Amino acid sequence: MKKFMTSTISTLAALLFVASTTVVAQQSDHQVQQDFRADYQELVQKVDEASSSDEVASLVDEISELEAEYSGYADLLDQALYPDTFEQRIGDLQSRLSVTQDNIAVIEDLNERIAELEAEIEELRSQLSEMDEDSDALRERMERSAANERRLSGLVSQYRESLENRDAFVSELLDDLMRRYEAMDAETQSEIAEAAESLEDDPLALLETIISEYINLADRDAGLEAADFLRMRAQHGYFDTIWDKIGERMASAYAPDRPVQAEQEITDLLSAWEASVNNKLWGALSSAFNQNGIELPEFTSDDTFNNALNAFVDDAIAVAQEQNEEADYELYRSFSDYWNNTVKAQWGEHLIAGNVLSQSDIAAIDVKLGDWGQHAAPTSNLMFILFLISLAVIIGLIVLLVTKKN
Amino acid sequence: MAKPKLTTLSLCVALLFGAAACGPSLVLEDVDYSQPIESVIAPDDNLEVHDQRYAVKFNIGPIIEEEGVPAEEVRLIRNRAGYYFLTASGFNNVYVFESAESELKLETKIEIGELSQPAFNLRDGNIELVDLGTGETYTLTHEGLR
Repeated sequence: MKKFMTSTISTLAALLFVASTTVVAQQSDHQVQQDFRADYQELVQKVDEASSSDEVASLVDEISELEAEYSGYADLLDQALYPDTFEQRIGDLQSRLSVTQDNIAVIEDLNERIAELEAEIEELRSQLSEMDEDSDALRERMERSAANERRLSGLVSQYRESLENRDAFVSELLDDLMRRYEAMDAETQSEIAEAAESLEDDPLALLETIISEYINLADRDAGLEAADFLRMRAQHGYFDTIWDKIGERMASAYAPDRPVQAEQEITDLLSAWEASVNNKLWGALSSAFNQNGIELPEFTSDDTFNNALNAFVDDAIAVAQEQNEEADYELYRSFSDYWNNTVKAQWGEHLIAGNVLSQSDIAAIDVKLGDWGQHAAPTSNLMFILFLISLAVIIGLIVLLVTKKN
Repeated sequence: MAKPKLTTLSLCVALLFGAAACGPSLVLEDVDYSQPIESVIAPDDNLEVHDQRYAVKFNIGPIIEEEGVPAEEVRLIRNRAGYYFLTASGFNNVYVFESAESELKLETKIEIGELSQPAFNLRDGNIELVDLGTGETYTLTHEGLR
């Protein structure tokens, strides 16, 4: 039995050998090189078309398989591929794959950035929209409660607070944009420009939405006062400054096909926002001064507001110099209180940040206010009375002396 | 009388050697003409085949006439000695040519039987003919089947 088994195995092995040699004998060298060229070309195409790390990983294996499959024909292929060699072709494939791998890494990195950026913008939009919804709800409640003054006052405070929160949020966003884009190098800019083509929503669109909502807020005028409009001017001033610094870079990065137009669109929106705020600001400031007994000449701009303040103080100084009446002193005290405690203390920061008045404009009024104080203060008659008494005493003594001599 | 004849004969022999000495005498030996991989070439409308890699161009009209079948593509290979071996699908023979000045001269016509998918390989300086259709293998020299 064992002998039979041994002879059967030997026969099978012999048959296998004969079969394998037949297979080898039936090979065509020309076909081998044709097959190699076809497989090589197919791999080149796959490498060139690869678009993910997974594909690259699979191609690494395929190249190794190609190398293993044809390494037995290396000499034949060296002759067939002359002046190339089999080893060079495999090396070329690997180099080509390495380049593709690098490109894919850049693309994947870019895609990751796009996804992050989109998620970030979506998050910002959702937060802003939440804030806007809260503000709108408060405004509607204010409209419904117009009859109840106490209730209305509470709602206005809440509304004002919600706007301040929104401003703080937007300022934070602007700070973040500033950090990212102020020192952005050309390479990052071009990377973003490449990614921007795939962005469904971009920071420029987000900024446009923010500014448009600011314009709506200014236009609504729901119980807002001079201080609120001054805060809007300050926010606008800050936005404007940031946009001056990063606008060009952001527009080039996110709208590479039309950077100038994109930048101009936001600049125009900023101008529209300023105009909307100004529409309300000058009236609100005039009312605020009037309510405190200060009737400023009419003003409709930063310069005319400054002129109105100066004209009012100059006139008051002139009147005080001329009349020096108690009423002048009262007006001085009233203006001085309002100027120091409200205008400077509460609005000062916003006036400067919003470019309504400069530091030197405020300082100039302060100096004039000093003059006004001096001239308006009532002059004392005590010295004059003492002088008259002294004169009377002297005259009396002279008369006494003359009388005694006679 | 015998002396002038001897002188004339010596002169003739000297002239013969002189003429031989004046002809080309440089011979490069052991030249390897072998083509490592067969060329597979489609003839054009005029039945001309042009192997651009090994720089040879000829007309296969006489062979087609001889075989009596058309050839979509011919297979050509050269052995170490420099003989060209040519065949094609449907051919019954392998034609062995010796190259000469502006011509290929038939050296041997090796009868194989109808070849369905012939292919030449170079194996140790000899030509191997494989019929991939039937699995038959033949070793050929310029003199015939080995």
